[in-house]
Amino acid sequence: MAAVRETVETVGEVEKYKYGFFTDIESEKAPLGLTEDTVRFISAKKNEPAWLLEWRLAAFRRWLTMTEPTWAKVSYPPIDFQDAYYYSAPKQQAKLDSLDQVDPKLLETYEKLGIPLTEQKMLAGVAVDAVFDSVSVVTTFKEKLAEAGVIFCPMSEAVAKHPELVKKYLGSVVPTSDNFYATLNSAVFSEGSFVYIPEGVRCPMELSTYFRINEKQTGQFERTLIIAEKGSYVSYLEGCTAPQRDENQLHAAVVELVALDDAEIKYSTVQNWFPGDEEGKGGVYNFVTKRGDCRGANSKISWTQVETGSAITWKYPSCILRGDNSRGEFYSIAISNGRQQVDSGTKMIHLGRNTTSRIISKGISAGKSSNTYRGLVSVHRKAENVRNFTQCDSLLIGSKCSAHTVPYVETKNPSAVLEHEATTSKISDDQLFYCMQRGIGEEEAVALIVNGFCRDVLQQLPMEFAVEAQKLVGISLEGSVG
Amino acid sequence: MSGNMAEKAAQNFVEAYEAARTALPGADGWLARRRAAAIESFAGAGLPHRRLEEWKYTDLRQTLDKAGFASAPEHMGAVVLPEAAAASAFSTLDRYVLVFVNGRFRADLSKAARLPKGVELHGLADVLTEQWAKDLIERRFDEARQAEEIVDLNTALMNDGMCLRIRKGVKLDKPVHLLFLAADGGASHTRNLILLEEEAEGTVLESHIGEAASFADIVTDVALGDGAKLDHVKLQDESADAVHLATLRGEIGAGARLSSFTLTLGCGVSRGQSFIRFAGEGAEAHVNGAYALRAKQHADQFCVVDHAVPRCASNTVFKGVLDGQSEGVFQGKVIVRPDAQKTDGRQMTQALLLSRDAAMNAKPELEIYADDVQCAHGSTVGELSKDALFYLRSRGIPEAEARRLLVLAFLDDVITLAPHEEVRDILRGLVSGWFEEAST
Amino acid sequence: MLEIRNLHVTVDGKEILKGIDLDVAAGEVHAIMGPNGSGKSTLSYVLAGREGYEVTEGSIRFNGKDLSEMGVDERAAAGIFLAFQYPLEIPGVTTMTFLKTALNAQRKARGEEELDAVRFLKLVREKAKPLNVNDDMLKRALNVGYSGGEKKRAEVLQMSLLEPALAVLDETDSGLDIDALKTVADGVNALRSPERSMIVITHYQRLLDYIVPDVVHVLSGGRIVKTGGKELALELEKSGYAGYGADAA
Ligand SMILES: Nc1ncnc2c1ncn2[C@@H]1O[C@H](COP(=O)(O)OP(=O)(O)OP(=O)(O)O)[C@@H](O)[C@H]1O
Ligand SMILES: [Mg+2]
Repeated sequence: MAAVRETVETVGEVEKYKYGFFTDIESEKAPLGLTEDTVRFISAKKNEPAWLLEWRLAAFRRWLTMTEPTWAKVSYPPIDFQDAYYYSAPKQQAKLDSLDQVDPKLLETYEKLGIPLTEQKMLAGVAVDAVFDSVSVVTTFKEKLAEAGVIFCPMSEAVAKHPELVKKYLGSVVPTSDNFYATLNSAVFSEGSFVYIPEGVRCPMELSTYFRINEKQTGQFERTLIIAEKGSYVSYLEGCTAPQRDENQLHAAVVELVALDDAEIKYSTVQNWFPGDEEGKGGVYNFVTKRGDCRGANSKISWTQVETGSAITWKYPSCILRGDNSRGEFYSIAISNGRQQVDSGTKMIHLGRNTTSRIISKGISAGKSSNTYRGLVSVHRKAENVRNFTQCDSLLIGSKCSAHTVPYVETKNPSAVLEHEATTSKISDDQLFYCMQRGIGEEEAVALIVNGFCRDVLQQLPMEFAVEAQKLVGISLEGSVG
Repeated sequence: MSGNMAEKAAQNFVEAYEAARTALPGADGWLARRRAAAIESFAGAGLPHRRLEEWKYTDLRQTLDKAGFASAPEHMGAVVLPEAAAASAFSTLDRYVLVFVNGRFRADLSKAARLPKGVELHGLADVLTEQWAKDLIERRFDEARQAEEIVDLNTALMNDGMCLRIRKGVKLDKPVHLLFLAADGGASHTRNLILLEEEAEGTVLESHIGEAASFADIVTDVALGDGAKLDHVKLQDESADAVHLATLRGEIGAGARLSSFTLTLGCGVSRGQSFIRFAGEGAEAHVNGAYALRAKQHADQFCVVDHAVPRCASNTVFKGVLDGQSEGVFQGKVIVRPDAQKTDGRQMTQALLLSRDAAMNAKPELEIYADDVQCAHGSTVGELSKDALFYLRSRGIPEAEARRLLVLAFLDDVITLAPHEEVRDILRGLVSGWFEEAST
Repeated sequence: MLEIRNLHVTVDGKEILKGIDLDVAAGEVHAIMGPNGSGKSTLSYVLAGREGYEVTEGSIRFNGKDLSEMGVDERAAAGIFLAFQYPLEIPGVTTMTFLKTALNAQRKARGEEELDAVRFLKLVREKAKPLNVNDDMLKRALNVGYSGGEKKRAEVLQMSLLEPALAVLDETDSGLDIDALKTVADGVNALRSPERSMIVITHYQRLLDYIVPDVVHVLSGGRIVKTGGKELALELEKSGYAGYGADAA
């Protein structure tokens, strides 16, 4: 039995990435490159009000003065921001009244991705917003949601129909000047989902956005904004894939969550962007800013992420625990294989009294990948009785990968109780032998053990996606043992 | 000379170097060239500041700019030891004593006669012609690049220090105690060299005391041959106006063992850095410490352990108690290189906050490139357990006494990791004394 | 069913088994006894194909096939089951999930249809009941936090679920209280059949009162030094291993 000691040089054939197909569909793009005109072009395409164009332009000017962050433990050749398209939309009728008008090719695409959008096949209990390159192609279950007063629509529609809400909250959690990629996003964001849950409403179904980068040389810059009014609840899930391409594609999204008094937002991500081939060629650069603001007392924001794709991941879903008694959670599985590089983690900023947070991070590195957890727990002077528990475990499969843990713990209040634990281990030969003695094949045994290692996090996912995520864990590790 | 001359303190050091250059030990040999190169690169880099990741929580540049230390004068004649208990710590032990005043060795105050055969103990100036000393001084720690500017500063300006060499298989019969007294204010630059050849064994104790506004810049270079064992205990209790910057660079041979312990009680700002690199398999390093701070004290413990070879074990535990407006920092990193299989690397930092205004920052890092390893780190911050306090009080113990018991128990946990029972008792006594002062 | 010829096995460069000959026919139960460190577990690991156990000489044939070419999971699918002396803990993987994965992997390897969740659950409950393994235990992570006795019962449950052709029980009786010993023995006996063979490794005659062996071997110093009927076990209980080459250590 060749145990997990040896990692096969070639980590799985590219075919493993089953979402790697490309849909041949006519599209309309902004001219190549990024100038003020590009920003104006995008804004005009979306028929945006003047204030939003100004907002974008301010961000763009700011962006010109900024430099890319270099502190993360990832390396990649310099990105030529002028050699990309910042807007691409499938050509179809401008306005869609029903699903029948959606280009059948698009529906087919989503079908292939396992996201049926046609009425009869829709997943019961899950409303989906499908975003294709820069535009949203369809949002399902709109009427049913409207009955409950829930707004779930593409960002551009929200700008048109609910400008007061957008104006009030956009950029209120992640300011336009926040960081290089967030600022870039503010200038050129093209689509994303907007969710508004009115006071006291428990959203009657899971909300889900499905992102797909299709066009070549196209960056995707979505902007998601979720507002949970007092006493409301919503569970939201996003999924992502992209075709397999030789060149790198940039994905620089911004997600802002606002939870008011007693509200709860559960945000789950299953990220499976194309990771590049075994030589590290191609793949998505996933440079994402996600932040939740527990603005109200007793509010709660919980991030759950299963990160298996992308060539490079740079992502730190965070919580600002402003309201008293508010709670932030971060559950993460980050799997890297081949030559993937992951630098991900969270920030829990404790500002309010009795705020609590919990961080469970499971990093799995295989192949020649590098996997870093980077996290901050910070307690401000006035934040009494803060509690945090952090656990980050790393699992290494093979001797050519690496795992890093970089936790920052900062406290200025004596009543805080902060605990941090981290371990690094490998799959033990004994465990593997035990499973195989029972007749379980080696790859399956590895998947089983890894799934066990991730269990605390998988349990946090909505049922519908937990099974999918478990399979994904297995698939992403294919070829990592030999 | 190039570099950022806007900084006052860095410029002062460069000027101090120019002024003292010809009078510094080794002015006519290889060291002169080394010093020139070191000051050049120090001037280029300047003093470390907060924007450097390794100095995120301690701004040495700002601290030294503000304090504006001149070079400490040479101190002749009699000295008076401060009243503090730390000043006479270790005096009950049978030991060799080397006294340094304002960073300079004072043979007249020292007592290190009749050393066993195979043990050489010298001042820095006396060993500069020896190859082993040159090797230690010139050594660079790749992974410790973050300490280079500090080591450069020291290399350029070092004017004294203890150099201990223990020959193969020789065991030092009693501890060497280095007593550093800051009698007057100002900066001193000390370089200690410790070489334990194969299977050699020894204990070095250091105490740093003084009531002056001093800046102690100390670099201790340690090399342990295969199977050697070094116990190193350091006590730091300088004045609230003092700045203490100590760098330990240790290279550990196969099967060798370094056990180091630091107790930090004094100083306005202190930073203790340890860079440990394993050079041979089956070696062990224990880098532990305790600190108890009050008022506006700031203490930073920084520790990098580089598992460059397989089958080594390292353990780092730092525990601290923070009162007043004090601030504690722990930054640690365990690196496991690609082939360093079977590494066992552990790190733990725990802090107790006793006052509303105290603060703690911790960053225990793991950087792992090998799969068959066991690494773990942990960090906790909190205040005294209310339940434990309640329990003790319910048994009739007054609150102050209950607090004292709990704090001492908390620190005792790490003091037990210090080498030698008699030394541990001395450390316990000091900590307990610190607490009594705190409560009066 | 099982033919072992002149088997020599080295672990980490040290020869542990020094020429074992053993034949187990279908339907037979063989007991192996012997002092600590004599190589009993080593023999069981070699049968299962554990890495690091190098066969330097001799052969093992199972139902006519040479085992040396087969991987661990292939041997398992072919019907070799090992109840571990020290069952492994697998955090996060529930016993239920583990059992289902194992059973279906074996069924698949044998070209049988996999069981769906409902049928599987029914089957497990049926097998678990006589062993006093309750649902709560099945929902916990495999062997994590199980008591010594619970681990052994879980091993027997796996065996009765997987229905192997050859079961090797390595000290499955150690750590069991008297009632549990009876339960486990009943479980094992229920599996006895003309097609199924068993090798029972134990230190105690007591187990053999319940699971009556056809043959008893004494393994000492890496060799089978004596073979006899079930009365041999009684003899050993009285006189110890002293007479059987105390070169064991
Ligand atoms: N990796 C190893 N390297 C060297 N010796 C080993 C190794 N593994 C096992 N051994 C030795 O092989 C011998 C046989 O071990 P084994 O576990 O087979 O004994 P056993 O008969 O099952 O004993 P017990 O009754 O205590 O379970 C012992 O002396 C043991 O120490
Ligand atoms: Mg055994």
